[in-house]
Amino acid sequence: MSTPYGTPGPGYGTPGGPAVFDPTTLPADDNVTPYTFCVELKGSQWFLQKGKMIAYYGSMEFNGIGHGRLDRLVRTSFHSPLHASDWVVAEGSGKMLLADRAFDVNSYDLEDGNLTIRSGNLLAFQPSLALKQSIVPGFLTLIGTGKFVAASNGPVVFMEPPIRVDPQALAGWADCPSPCHHYDHGYMTGVMGGLRALTGLGGASGEEHQFEFVGAGTVLLQSTETLMAEQATGAVPPDAGVPGSGAAHTGPSQVAGGQRLPGQLGDLQRRFGL
Amino acid sequence: MAFREINPKMVEATVMPGQKLFSQRGAMLAYKGEVSFTPNMAGGQGGLLSMIGRRVADEDTPLMTVEGSGTVLFGHGGHHVHVINLAGDTLCVEADRLLAFEGTLQQGTMFLGSQGGVMGMVRGQISGQGLFTTTLKGHGAVAVMAHGGVFEIPITPQRPVHVDPQAYVAHHGDVRNKLSTALGWRDMVGRGSGEAFQLELSGSGAVYVQASEEKL
Amino acid sequence: MGGRRPGGPERASKGAVRGDVHLWELLAAGACGYLRCVAMFRLQGSKVLAVDMTGDAVKAKNGSMVAYDGQMAFKKMSGGGEGLRGMVTRRLTGEQMTVMEVKGHGTCWFADRAAEINLVNLQGDKLYVESSNLLATDAGLRTGTSFTGLRGASQGNGLFTTTVEGHGQAAIVSDGPAVVLRVSPQYPLTVDPGAYVAHQGNLRQSFQSGVTFRTLMGEGGGEAFQIRFEGDGLVYVQPSERNTIAGEV
Repeated sequence: MSTPYGTPGPGYGTPGGPAVFDPTTLPADDNVTPYTFCVELKGSQWFLQKGKMIAYYGSMEFNGIGHGRLDRLVRTSFHSPLHASDWVVAEGSGKMLLADRAFDVNSYDLEDGNLTIRSGNLLAFQPSLALKQSIVPGFLTLIGTGKFVAASNGPVVFMEPPIRVDPQALAGWADCPSPCHHYDHGYMTGVMGGLRALTGLGGASGEEHQFEFVGAGTVLLQSTETLMAEQATGAVPPDAGVPGSGAAHTGPSQVAGGQRLPGQLGDLQRRFGL
Repeated sequence: MAFREINPKMVEATVMPGQKLFSQRGAMLAYKGEVSFTPNMAGGQGGLLSMIGRRVADEDTPLMTVEGSGTVLFGHGGHHVHVINLAGDTLCVEADRLLAFEGTLQQGTMFLGSQGGVMGMVRGQISGQGLFTTTLKGHGAVAVMAHGGVFEIPITPQRPVHVDPQAYVAHHGDVRNKLSTALGWRDMVGRGSGEAFQLELSGSGAVYVQASEEKL
Repeated sequence: MGGRRPGGPERASKGAVRGDVHLWELLAAGACGYLRCVAMFRLQGSKVLAVDMTGDAVKAKNGSMVAYDGQMAFKKMSGGGEGLRGMVTRRLTGEQMTVMEVKGHGTCWFADRAAEINLVNLQGDKLYVESSNLLATDAGLRTGTSFTGLRGASQGNGLFTTTVEGHGQAAIVSDGPAVVLRVSPQYPLTVDPGAYVAHQGNLRQSFQSGVTFRTLMGEGGGEAFQIRFEGDGLVYVQPSERNTIAGEV
């Protein structure tokens, strides 16, 4: 089964075999396969989550966010202090391939818009966009004009409000007013709900608690429970009067489980859905 | 057709008044309209017996009754979803692989050991999937989950099929199952102890196998 | 969706017609049963390898068979094609892959933890593949072990790579469908060690400790190293940053 992308070239590789790419046949800022995205750098810069670059042609440099020379760029485009250590800036010229644990990847174009995405799903974005932490824990908001690349478990399904979504299946949303919580009353007061409330056993699943979206916009869904890496975001400094402050461990981002070092076994488990 | 495959990992179900669905807890991804999800302590129509069966088999997967009017998206854990349509025959499937199925299907529990004898017992222990399998009978659609997608192998009287118990998902038709050991198979030092055995399916029907030896 | 029937129209396209192909290979492309029988590799979907056999044999990763029909015999490989030394080396380097030989009449289905399968046609050239990524080969292909040095070390999963040589088909697995990238003298390629799956052709590899990369990402360990390929050939990379399919992290 050959992919619909690209065409086989001459030389090594055989007709009817897999498509073979080189810098001239790789797409520019487009998908190579549903799981691999190619970014073209022409002296330009991209923000990139660490470890998501799988290969590149050309000459490129990858510098950490803390790098002094990048101060100005970071000041205008990167507003998520919790994430600074997870991101690098790629610059140079050539083509690089991005991928994330064999999840589906897609690019999104914003034109003077805003889109909020689950923090673990965001792979890369152009500096013309500004990255901010959403007030919904575990989500990041991109504002401005430009392109970004995000992963999802299975293709992203776009839905229109009104809709209620299992928080774990929510990949993100665009233009919607912030989601609110919806608790299924019948479920919570039922026998099981009572038991659960008393014993704490059974946890919560999407059936009794959803995020509800109303108004105009688009909701992005993916098929997942806890497969994607979660990263704590949205935690706020302990200031008086700021909702959620001092309670950084509540909300869906609690699974973050401290620092995630690349190569940790946790990655493996997530990848295999354990 | 109750289930529409939106992508390999998601199905959309249309719920209408008077037509209920059953789904695994946690399988709902999103819904539109007025839809209610009620946990089903008795495990569908199987009643108490099926409940006990489930306990014994450690298949403690409570089902939800889905009713109302609207559309529901189902998916679970990023697993691949496969829809099987039944037209009067019986499908055998491990309970924890059931994502959702139509209420028109009659649900029961089958003791796999009754066919394979002692070996059947062993099978349950090997694959860790319990001695009991859920059976679904009648006319309707079933959405099952598998690691990495499923493919179907037809079983004909002349051609029995051997399946790695870990990769087995479901089967339907007039099929007998028993555990067997292939020549030299035991010498293999596999990843799991299950490698030493194969599930032999004979008769006529089809078996669904997943693209992985990893059980859900 | 719907499972495809074996033997259906999706027969392997063994359309590997290039230059010096022998007559029997061309014949084997259409059907089987002349001078030598070649096991037919075909993909059932993208994650299952179906092999149709008529008395011939394939070598496959141990435990990767998910189903078969017909008559099959399984034999654990010890000493066989790659030699005892290869096996011993594997043991020493902690690579746990063992190989079985499947021989018989019928169809055999192989899969490896839902990994994506890529078919590679070899026409006398040599394929270098991480041993954990090698799923199955034609029994006629020679497999061996080759020293790969640093890459393994930086990745922590052994210093040796499997080589496959000869004429025939091999199936390699990757976490997500592999992207095949061409390396030519004017286009050298740099690859993340975790995404590397296999390569073929006349390539030199060197290990870059991307300086800027390392100073800022140092805490991650292996990330600091990148492999640079130069020469003429193909590199298979997977859309995943760690080579963890059945391998050690």
